[in-house]
Amino acid sequence: MNQRVSFSNQSESKDSNPTSCLDSGIFTGAERVEIMNVVGRSRKLVSLLCRSRGLLEQKCVFRAARSSALHQQGHHATPPLRSRFDTQRWCSGDSDSRLLGSTSSQELSLETDHKNSQIIPPGHGYSETFNLDVLVSLLRQENAVDLCVIKVPEHIKYAEYFIVVSGISPRHLRAMALYAIKVYKFLRKDGDPNVKIEGKDAEDWMCIDFGKIVVHFMLPETREVYELEKLWILRAYDEQLMRIPPEVLPEDFMYDMEITK
Amino acid sequence: MALQRLSGSFSGLIVQNSSKILQRAFSVSVVAAAIQKMTRVRVVDNSSLGNTPYHRPPRVIHVYTKNGVGKVGDKVLLAIKGQKKKALIVGHKMPGDRMTPRFDSNNVVLIEDNGNPTGTRIKVPIPTHLRQMEGDFSKVLAIASSFV
Repeated sequence: MNQRVSFSNQSESKDSNPTSCLDSGIFTGAERVEIMNVVGRSRKLVSLLCRSRGLLEQKCVFRAARSSALHQQGHHATPPLRSRFDTQRWCSGDSDSRLLGSTSSQELSLETDHKNSQIIPPGHGYSETFNLDVLVSLLRQENAVDLCVIKVPEHIKYAEYFIVVSGISPRHLRAMALYAIKVYKFLRKDGDPNVKIEGKDAEDWMCIDFGKIVVHFMLPETREVYELEKLWILRAYDEQLMRIPPEVLPEDFMYDMEITK
Repeated sequence: MALQRLSGSFSGLIVQNSSKILQRAFSVSVVAAAIQKMTRVRVVDNSSLGNTPYHRPPRVIHVYTKNGVGKVGDKVLLAIKGQKKKALIVGHKMPGDRMTPRFDSNNVVLIEDNGNPTGTRIKVPIPTHLRQMEGDFSKVLAIASSFV
């Protein structure tokens, strides 16, 4: 508890950037990781700490953190984070669409390698816009199971990125969806349309359409039934599509001729 | 063979129609709508309910809009194989807005009560202006294989 108390003390003094307090050498390495995980996973905790001291509102903390991060450290940390995503995205080498899969082991390596990126509360990243990096990092942080990002080819004018995520339970899916909406609302500027959750009453499949990105939250069983990743990677050569028997018109079919009484 | 029959019956109709119009005893109303009650529709997904043959084509028995007219993106209630099922209209024969596609058949995708599509793939092209409309269409767009 000592550690937490001193953390909120630091945020009390004008310097409310969590990165700087961790760098100031108060905590040892292991404690740093632990706190980062704590801070990274629960923004509510941070706000609780701040409020318990009777201080800053949640938004003020984040805005200060965000603006200071942008000026001070954002630019240092952005290129490594972005380049890692870029190499992963482009090295899978399919001609039509690119598949970016991730497992839990990669998630762990992300957390240990890019410490700085997790310190700032998720969703504010280093850019002010809600883009793919922000979304993927917040999904990873929410312990999303089987995250799959597919780059939709240009000739399909639907979206640019198609994401399919699984969850552990319907409640988990709902929590992830609501959190993504929250972050989007915080990061959007005037002029960006509002985004709603589609399929709120279907507990096993929810979607959010962010214009350029579409996210689907499904349970693993539902995912098995629909196999959306297969469809969106293999477009016309999908297995289920090929299984649909081709439609045969009957011999005496007459186009556009309605036989009425 | 079909074409010959078509041309034969067509010319016959043209000749007979003009005399019949003056004689008919029933009133004819203008086509009111795109999809309304009692229209026969074509189910375009790969669900078993929509694809198994039945002696009666699926018909609309209720349209969930303020007026009873269904356009693209409206939900309807179908009677298929003796059971009721909700469905979403994805194309109709009646011309709609400019720069929206018009289809040669009234296409419909079966949907559960919670909004999940019953089938898993749709082969028929789906209009992309569904995306801008109010309503939950992302699921149907996600299982579509081609867009128009």
